[in-house]
Amino acid sequence: MKHTYPNICFYFQVHQPYRLRDLRITDIGSEKMEYFDEEKNRAIFQKVAQKCYLPANKLMLELLETYPDFSVAYSISGVFLEQCTLYGPDVLESFQALAKTGKVEFLAETYYHSLSSLKSIAEFVEQVSAHADLIEELFGQRPRIFRNTELIYSNELAHIARLMGFDGILAEGADHLLKGQNPNDAYTPPSFRLPRGIERIVQKERPHGKAMRRISVLLKNYRLSDDVAFRFSDKTWIGYPLRSDTFTDWLMQTGGSSVNLFMDYETFGEHQWADTGIFDFLRSLPKIWQERGIRAITPSQVIALQRKKEAKVFDSHTHVSWADTERDLSAWQENEIQRAALDALFALEPLVKQAGNKKLLDEWRKLQTSDHFYYMCTKYWNDGDVHKYFSPYDSPYEAYRRFSHALCDLRTRLESLTPRTQTPNPKYSNP
Amino acid sequence: MSIHTLMFGWEYPPLHLGGLGVACQGLVQGLLKNGVHVTLVLPHPHAQSEEHDVISPKEHRIRTVKVQSMLNPYMTTDQYFQQINAVSKEMQQVYGSDLPQAVTHFTEVSVELTKHTSPDVVHCHDWMTYGAGIRAAKYHRKPLITHIHATELDRTNFHPDEWIYGLERQGFQAADRIVAVSNYTKNILVEHYGIDPAKIMVVHNGSSEEHLRAPQKLTSLCGRKHAPMVLFLGRLTLQKGPIQFLEMANKVRRFRPDTQFIMAGEGGMMGEIVQKVRELNLQENVALAGKVSSAEARKLYRKADCFVMPSLSEPFGLVALEAIAHGTPVVISKQSGVSEVVGHGFKVDFWDTDKMADCVLTILREQPLANQLRTAAPRSLQYLRWENQAKHVRSIYEKLIR
Repeated sequence: MKHTYPNICFYFQVHQPYRLRDLRITDIGSEKMEYFDEEKNRAIFQKVAQKCYLPANKLMLELLETYPDFSVAYSISGVFLEQCTLYGPDVLESFQALAKTGKVEFLAETYYHSLSSLKSIAEFVEQVSAHADLIEELFGQRPRIFRNTELIYSNELAHIARLMGFDGILAEGADHLLKGQNPNDAYTPPSFRLPRGIERIVQKERPHGKAMRRISVLLKNYRLSDDVAFRFSDKTWIGYPLRSDTFTDWLMQTGGSSVNLFMDYETFGEHQWADTGIFDFLRSLPKIWQERGIRAITPSQVIALQRKKEAKVFDSHTHVSWADTERDLSAWQENEIQRAALDALFALEPLVKQAGNKKLLDEWRKLQTSDHFYYMCTKYWNDGDVHKYFSPYDSPYEAYRRFSHALCDLRTRLESLTPRTQTPNPKYSNP
Repeated sequence: MSIHTLMFGWEYPPLHLGGLGVACQGLVQGLLKNGVHVTLVLPHPHAQSEEHDVISPKEHRIRTVKVQSMLNPYMTTDQYFQQINAVSKEMQQVYGSDLPQAVTHFTEVSVELTKHTSPDVVHCHDWMTYGAGIRAAKYHRKPLITHIHATELDRTNFHPDEWIYGLERQGFQAADRIVAVSNYTKNILVEHYGIDPAKIMVVHNGSSEEHLRAPQKLTSLCGRKHAPMVLFLGRLTLQKGPIQFLEMANKVRRFRPDTQFIMAGEGGMMGEIVQKVRELNLQENVALAGKVSSAEARKLYRKADCFVMPSLSEPFGLVALEAIAHGTPVVISKQSGVSEVVGHGFKVDFWDTDKMADCVLTILREQPLANQLRTAAPRSLQYLRWENQAKHVRSIYEKLIR
């Protein structure tokens, strides 16, 4: 076996949010208030299924069956899997067919693709457990590796994942943290103990029964990942057109133990349309890799191989993510409306949990999906330079308008369910 | 390269009724800053009088030529007729006894008075000056730029006076380049006047320096202890959507009964508006402020919690920029040019008064939203300085001269 070359680790993110309806103040408190745009969500799901999920899964199945040394990993959000049931059972079946090859690893994430890790650890661990249960039920394997929404990561989060019993966690190989080190190497977070309060919360929800002693960090090689995900069809890019043998040359030159190629699954057919040749590119990779003796392995396999080696410390005091050039939280939490929306949402947590109403709890959680806050981003929203946005709404303000109405409605319902604790006791109040 | 532009305008502060005068002034000042010499020809009811503001008197690169005339840009043939009948027969000879005559008179006199100038380009603003522009360009054998601030279709909700429409079309056809104040207006020229889009350049209006220095609201005033106030500012004509404003007000009032709606401006629809207020039983909520001075307008902007511009067809809509400059969140019609440059605000179809009301109510209810609009929107005005917009106009001149 040649092991001078790094292995390849492919992980694809699969997610669709529940987009909000054009809610109005007049709807708040009405009998049949529906927050989410059933019609639009169905239409988008089915469009992306035709362009991406179905053809990509078909190709992936063919590749997994043809090439023994080719494996991949997926992280599929709970809200996506729900939408499969609602809008496209054939999509779910095609993922299940991939699972049956035994060469696909499924990762853990928050069920609602949420920002809960930023606001409530209790809520966060519940969502991760619920997701692990769903993955086990649908795909017959309990996830061993965790990836947080949009690759949001911090030292603390890594230890929370460790306490929850995960072997590994994914993160962005951000330059400012790597300081020139190779993202392909083995990493671990700096060791420290979490505050007792957090440990206690995590212990209540442990998808794997026991905490791990150590946790590995797999870092995204963002240059090579983005060559495919963002630059593949960019005619102004010096690497255009990207050929699979050139790309393989680049992979082989990068050294380390594993080149981690993390990207949205929608890269194939949706972000990069079929006519860009993206499917042909993907099809030709395993063949070249086989010829050159390179293996594509799963995150768990990468970690098992790295266990024998000394791991370097990946130190992230503040949050990193894979979003935008800033690679921080600014895509979701930069401006006033984004912060107010998330704060107001989590201010309802005690009320939601006290109410014990399943439907309202589910709706509250669906509002935690990161996309809602992404749509409110105004970072590039300069006049005269109106940023082309991947948003279903006209503007960040429209996103906030809809969200705030949903939140008002939810608050109204919760307050009508729960007797106010502050209500003065008539016995003691002045007449 | 030194460039001299012979410019035909038709209103100019302080003698102005609407956005055209403000835009002309901004453009002229911007051109001066870009080193362009300007000869400005203006209609003036008292051409001999000296009280007229000559922009910046110390400026050597500008000369103004005043032409005695009663023209104003928002005039209809009927209105001109009423006004001209109020002056002596003698003076009627000077002004022109009806609108076409007045325009002919203005054209002849203004071309005559500028024969001695030697411009590099001729630049004219809106239909009343197109005739003068065409003739002056021919006389001096120089390129013609027709600037379009508002078409007859905008003013009449697409029921034009054919004579005015015809003059506009002639101006567009004769022009070497057309400057439109928005893509919205460019599309109207292409679709309704059959003009080649390649000939039309879009230069959005700018935000004046004065706006950039406008005092912001004090945050202490934003604490919503007073009843919320929603502002309309514009001529009370069909084009500006005052009826849509009242329909919106009626819907907002249902949820926020204490909301005050102030309508500033005057115009032909006053009677209809008063009646509509009564019909909707909005007397307690709506105040008609009449025509307001710039100082009063500034006060209103600062006091308002939300500014609504529900125009049916608005080539640009400078009032929206003024509101933004004063830190007022805006809800503006999608059928407007200014919506192309305002990112931080709500945009709605003028007929969708349900959604308009919903946006206003959201701004009134959501403090973080109001705060963000208040701070983010004014910051974006710096991209729209007149100096910068005039630079685009200068480069259009340069390409034509070469």
